Amino acid sequence: MGIPLLSFIIFTPVAGAAVLMFLRGDDAARWTALSFTVLDLALCIAMLVGFDTTTHAMQFTEMRSWVPALGINYALGIDGISALFVFLTALLGSICVLASWVAIDRKVKEFMICLLSMQALMLGVFCALDLFLFYVFWEAMLIPMYLIIGVWGGEGRVYAAIKFFLYTLAGSLLFLIGVIVLYFYGGRSFDILALTEQDLPFRIQSWLFFAFLIAFAVKVPMVPVHTWLPDAHVQAPTAGSIILAGVLLKMGAYGFLRFSLPMLPEASMHYSTLMLALSVLAIVYGGLLALAQDDLKKLVAYSSISHMGFVTLGIFALNLRGLEGGILQMFNHGVTTGALFLFVGLIYERTHTRSIADYGGLMKVAPVYTTFLALFTLSSMALPGTNSFVGELLVLSGGFAANLVAGSAAVLGALLGAAYLLGMYGKVALGPASVGVQLKIRDLNAREMAAILPLAVFVLWVGFYPKPFLNIIDASVKHLLTQVQSKESGP
Amino acid sequence: MTAATLFQSALASLPEIVVITGACILLILGRFVRKGQEHFLVWASVAVVLIAALATLMLASEVRPVYTGMFIADRFAVFFKFIFYLATVLTFLLSRKYADIEGIGSSEYYVLLLFALLGMMIMASATDLLSIYVGLELMVICTYVLTGFLRRERRSNEAALKYVILGAVSTGIFLYGVSLIYGLTGTTQLDGMAAAVTGDPLDSGLLLAVVFIVAGLVFKVGAVPFHMWLPDVYEGAPTTITAFMSVGPKAAGFAVILRVFLNPLVAASDVWIILAVIAVVTMALGSFMALVQDNFKRLLAYSSIAHAGFAIFGVAAGGADGIASVMLYLLIYAFTNLGIFAAVIMMRNGDFSGEVIEDYAGFAKSHPGLALLMLLFLFSLAGIPPTAGFFAKFYVLVALVERGFVMLAVIAVLLSAVAAYFYIRIVMVMYMREPKRAFAPALTPLVRATLAVTAAGTIGIGLFPSWFLKLAQDSVFGG
Repeated sequence: MGIPLLSFIIFTPVAGAAVLMFLRGDDAARWTALSFTVLDLALCIAMLVGFDTTTHAMQFTEMRSWVPALGINYALGIDGISALFVFLTALLGSICVLASWVAIDRKVKEFMICLLSMQALMLGVFCALDLFLFYVFWEAMLIPMYLIIGVWGGEGRVYAAIKFFLYTLAGSLLFLIGVIVLYFYGGRSFDILALTEQDLPFRIQSWLFFAFLIAFAVKVPMVPVHTWLPDAHVQAPTAGSIILAGVLLKMGAYGFLRFSLPMLPEASMHYSTLMLALSVLAIVYGGLLALAQDDLKKLVAYSSISHMGFVTLGIFALNLRGLEGGILQMFNHGVTTGALFLFVGLIYERTHTRSIADYGGLMKVAPVYTTFLALFTLSSMALPGTNSFVGELLVLSGGFAANLVAGSAAVLGALLGAAYLLGMYGKVALGPASVGVQLKIRDLNAREMAAILPLAVFVLWVGFYPKPFLNIIDASVKHLLTQVQSKESGP
Repeated sequence: MTAATLFQSALASLPEIVVITGACILLILGRFVRKGQEHFLVWASVAVVLIAALATLMLASEVRPVYTGMFIADRFAVFFKFIFYLATVLTFLLSRKYADIEGIGSSEYYVLLLFALLGMMIMASATDLLSIYVGLELMVICTYVLTGFLRRERRSNEAALKYVILGAVSTGIFLYGVSLIYGLTGTTQLDGMAAAVTGDPLDSGLLLAVVFIVAGLVFKVGAVPFHMWLPDVYEGAPTTITAFMSVGPKAAGFAVILRVFLNPLVAASDVWIILAVIAVVTMALGSFMALVQDNFKRLLAYSSIAHAGFAIFGVAAGGADGIASVMLYLLIYAFTNLGIFAAVIMMRNGDFSGEVIEDYAGFAKSHPGLALLMLLFLFSLAGIPPTAGFFAKFYVLVALVERGFVMLAVIAVLLSAVAAYFYIRIVMVMYMREPKRAFAPALTPLVRATLAVTAAGTIGIGLFPSWFLKLAQDSVFGG
């Protein structure tokens, strides 16, 4: 084992935050944060270059004893599933810094420190191979995220921040109990890989499944524990929304993939119909709510609930296409919805309104902005040629194979998506220019383009040539599937 | 008692002898300290504690049961004594400036604190119900006086009076339980009690005696239903004394509870059910009452009730891990709680009391560093990683699940989610409100040092809990 690459990836943002503490001046803070996130992204690309796609085994593993008396280790490693999200997190990290360049105008240094510590913790969640370590990263994220929403958010930020904090905390505390129960059943070990190897009695699996479900469902979020999301999204600053939509929501789904499925296979199979029903509910209900929104940010937030429904639908279809589609869709949703939040943030900086009714005819004033907005809107409704098409197609074909009713209902949800997204785009970009828009609105500048272009590249890349991405996750997903299905004949 | 055993006894209780000698000397020397020279008292008191700590360390290597089985110097006692030393020294450091502001800087203040320390040390080492009683009384009588030290303030007087009366009642109940035990077993020694009972451990008379002793001890840690004194006393006492009481005497109470309850005799009865009920009710009451407090000191009082509840969960779990988890919990709580109290004490300057939560509005704007420290302590109290408070709670939960009390663990975490709300509400006030006035915290070098030590403990144990965990596990008595 050579260089501890994953530790470098996790602790580069920490180093950046430490440097920031001793800096003065807003511009210095911005440039330092940007350089550390770009450096982190470069490390992630190096990691992907060295990544072996032929094996499902954990790679770049590191292991140090942390609390030997309780068998807790500092253990890191990634497989195909986590590699994709490590990369996504690092990518969105630098974009968040760019997105907050002028949007955050007070306490810039403190904001960047929060952003960087957030990034380090999110990367840690995806890399951790020890349950205790995972939980520490998972839970510690509450502190910077609470501050990001509560200090730099909009009008109702205090309420939104506390709601976010309490929902997530209550969910994850039950997860903690589940983790400790698992620890004793697994022979006093927090080792994630060792814990997936063992066979738990079905009764225990059921209890644990629901303890985990509460924690992950709050994060995803699944209906009916989604109500924190619209508040948090609407009140959070743009960068906060991007992190929330892009990475934080993925953690719930990642939890299902990393813990529920391989550790509790029988329970996962047994309750998969329930999970499919909840997913479809989220798809349709989220879509209907989005249809009724006048606030741009709320619309994108509710569309997130709907899209994450597709992700959980794919995961609990429990077949290869569904799982691969679900994971790819997690990545896609991070890229596309991250971009949509960025766009909402950019226009809000100019007009200080988010009400769709205030907009119209934006095409004439800001052609570049509207062109890219079109690309991401189409991507969000899964037009062929964009990233989400590939993901959603896989999810739907997996969903149909698993459950005909669920598959059909999900198609309905996709139609709803087209309705609210096209409606939104039509009102904002087309038609006669509204009063607010007639005031000269500046089109995108170079910094904003720098934030958008990478995301646009991924939209088209995954849309036209998804093979490299599917390659990364392929071996791990197949292994995951054998883990789940090997137990099928068991009970 | 021969000369040799007397020598052995004196040797084993050397730290206690150091403290009592030092306190007596200071009592006399205090008469000659002129006004403006009070810092001499602080440093002399700190020196006494440090010498005692040194003596404790020297004796830590072996177990010495002395004074014909009334007193023991073992690692369990050493662990607790270090919590007491920490609490006392930090209280001394915090008191210097605060005592000037409040005008309470006489030598008695420091001497009484030293005597309270002595009482706590005796409690940690006591292995006989009577020596426990001696230590307990020494400690509480000193804290009665210290609570009423703000002589001109009605609140302080009222608190002291309330404390004395309720404390005396609870002591009476405790002694009554002891007399019952003596009547039933013919001994008051903890080890002797178990040997003396040959019949059914669920004998109703014995159970009654245990209930009385529980009541007396639970009063000292402020658990329901004997918590009523605590918010008033915490609010009325000088803030430095509140800080001290929330950590030192509370830990001493737990030291005794652990020794008494994990005694084979008591452990054989179903006393854990009583403890579990007390833990649940205590934590629920503390958490829910704290939600509606506007006064910072009252809020911390209810928070300390809630924390006592959480620690009692560890006692209910029992076993080596249960004991170790309570010990670690108290150590971590000492760092964190003294940290947050240091922040409150520092705010007291001029006519500014800093006792109302609204006083802290916008504090992060003018003092980002201090606000960050307070945030650290508050999140540690709420039990969010990577702070030490998380590891403390985590280990108690591990002990609970190990014994199969999963439901209790679930109740404990749900209640701590409730408790998280009032801690983050303070963070919210500090970070998300606009300041109404300028802040001028009394940030003396001594207060700075306290904040540095407590912050280092809070974050250090959180990130590297291994060494402290090992220490707690090695210090568990009897195995």
